[in-house]
Amino acid sequence: MEKENVIEIKNLTAGFDGRTVLENISLEIKRNEIFVILGSSGGGKTTLLKHIIGLLKPEKGSISVFGKEILNMEIDEFEGILKRIGMLFQGGALLNSMAVWENIAIPLEQHTQLENEVISNIVKQKLSLVNLEDAYYMLPSELSGGMKKRVSLARAIAMDPEILFFDEPSAGLDPITSSDLDELILDLKKKLGITLVIVTHELESIKRIADRIIYLQKGKNIFCGTIEEAKISHIEEIDRFFGWDKD
Amino acid sequence: MIKKTDINTLKVTGDFSNDRINEFKKNYNDLKRTSAKPVIDLSEVQHAGTLALAFLEYISRNKKVEIRAAESLRSEIEEFAKASGYENAETKLSFTDRTVATVSDFFNELGDFVILSADIFYYSIRSIFNSSGRRKGSVFEQMFLMGNNAVPIVFLLSFLIGLVLSLQSAAQLKQFGANIYLVDLIVIGMILEMGPILTSVIVAGRTGSAIAAEISTMKITEELDALRVMALNPLKYVVAPKMLSLTVCLPILTILANFVGIFGGFIVGVLYLDLSLDIFVNRTFDVMTLYYWWQSMLKSVLFSWLIVLIGAHFGFKVKGGSEAVGKAATSSVVASIFAIIMTDAVLSLIFYFEW
Repeated sequence: MEKENVIEIKNLTAGFDGRTVLENISLEIKRNEIFVILGSSGGGKTTLLKHIIGLLKPEKGSISVFGKEILNMEIDEFEGILKRIGMLFQGGALLNSMAVWENIAIPLEQHTQLENEVISNIVKQKLSLVNLEDAYYMLPSELSGGMKKRVSLARAIAMDPEILFFDEPSAGLDPITSSDLDELILDLKKKLGITLVIVTHELESIKRIADRIIYLQKGKNIFCGTIEEAKISHIEEIDRFFGWDKD
Repeated sequence: MIKKTDINTLKVTGDFSNDRINEFKKNYNDLKRTSAKPVIDLSEVQHAGTLALAFLEYISRNKKVEIRAAESLRSEIEEFAKASGYENAETKLSFTDRTVATVSDFFNELGDFVILSADIFYYSIRSIFNSSGRRKGSVFEQMFLMGNNAVPIVFLLSFLIGLVLSLQSAAQLKQFGANIYLVDLIVIGMILEMGPILTSVIVAGRTGSAIAAEISTMKITEELDALRVMALNPLKYVVAPKMLSLTVCLPILTILANFVGIFGGFIVGVLYLDLSLDIFVNRTFDVMTLYYWWQSMLKSVLFSWLIVLIGAHFGFKVKGGSEAVGKAATSSVVASIFAIIMTDAVLSLIFYFEW
């Protein structure tokens, strides 16, 4: 059975101060797949991500999430959609003034009426999912880069989102932590049935986890499909990116 | 080695590495002063560092200087010249264009400020009745930070200002035997002007800068984006608690400052002008009308809003790195103090002439 599209983007054009960053991008992301956004630096990857979650507004085009057009949507309705997604930012973006558990509890405290004890137990369970049981009372400033990302991941999955966005999850991580993170991502996909949208440069991790990829070159979509399809497409940029030109 | 071989020639031997550039430059300057036709002999130099290449390329533009170099070094210099010889497209605006840009930037910023202020008011008022989207206990936490912790400094400074202000006026009043009017002067001066202004200037320095720094840091580290993605509005989650708590705290601090300042005047009156205690107290309550208190409170509430709105404005508009955080904090303090004194002047004129 063909899976439904959770995200659909049509003819998206976006830019800052008259400089076009994304040009006529169209793509579909299906439920429960791992979709990786690739491309050269400054190619518009993070910009694309920020458009999908509504942090930036495009110049033209349409973006729909869960089958609903999000541009020009009422703010309350859009917040309803945001509650069903999670995002892991590049630097973690934990609130520095709050302890780890408070950070993870933010969405739970704000969007549910659960008792503090229940919330605390959920926080503990999410922390154990990312192997950080000891960090409960720590402040973000006491954590290493990798730990911050894992706490941020715990916060992003606190509400059991249906779509999870990652902005360069393995940037700045050592290969072992990075491959652990990949395992975690595959686990999330399998156990919780989450759709994952990931911006990354890590070749190994792309090969290990990606179901489908999009390759952005100077804001243009030059390829969208599976890695096998990418290999036989013989697009020069993609061959160079994956090192297939040397084979 | 760098050596003068004859009166016109400077000879370099060995590797012309970057650490020899200062020595070479010194020798070259000496040579240029003494010789009409300087020659740099580099024929034995095999390789030169980037600093040396850059300097050699620079002096080779002087037609009087002759550079003798092996072919390989000469081509390295030429390559450097090629790689660095492009023009930077710096856009230079004319004076009129710059003026227009500055003025339009100012009005754009003012427009942004008005829109942000409207949003902050909207979310603050909403969050009085509906606490969802606001952190539990955050208003009281902010009150403690902004109000309670500012008490000692407000106390001390308003006491000193009250004391000094009375002392300076007392000397004048004494000459006319108008000692009793010290009470009028200090009561009206503190309640209408010094109390609200002094307190809000202190709070602008303490709290306004903290608001700007906190919000700008949150913006740079993507914490604000993270809140938005969690379906939380940063204005409601971060700014509204500050707005609500300062609206309460600043008037209370102002009341405190007014009384402490008057107490400073009382000390001068009793000890220096020989006013008796009951005369001072009676006169104080005669002068102190509700109308004055009402003005004082109106001012301090308006000032508290200015401090939060301006701090938030500079916090949200920040772009760049850690340097920008410091700038945002500084600008917010300067702008708040400016806005406070301007508003005070306008209000004082309106009330004084009863427009």
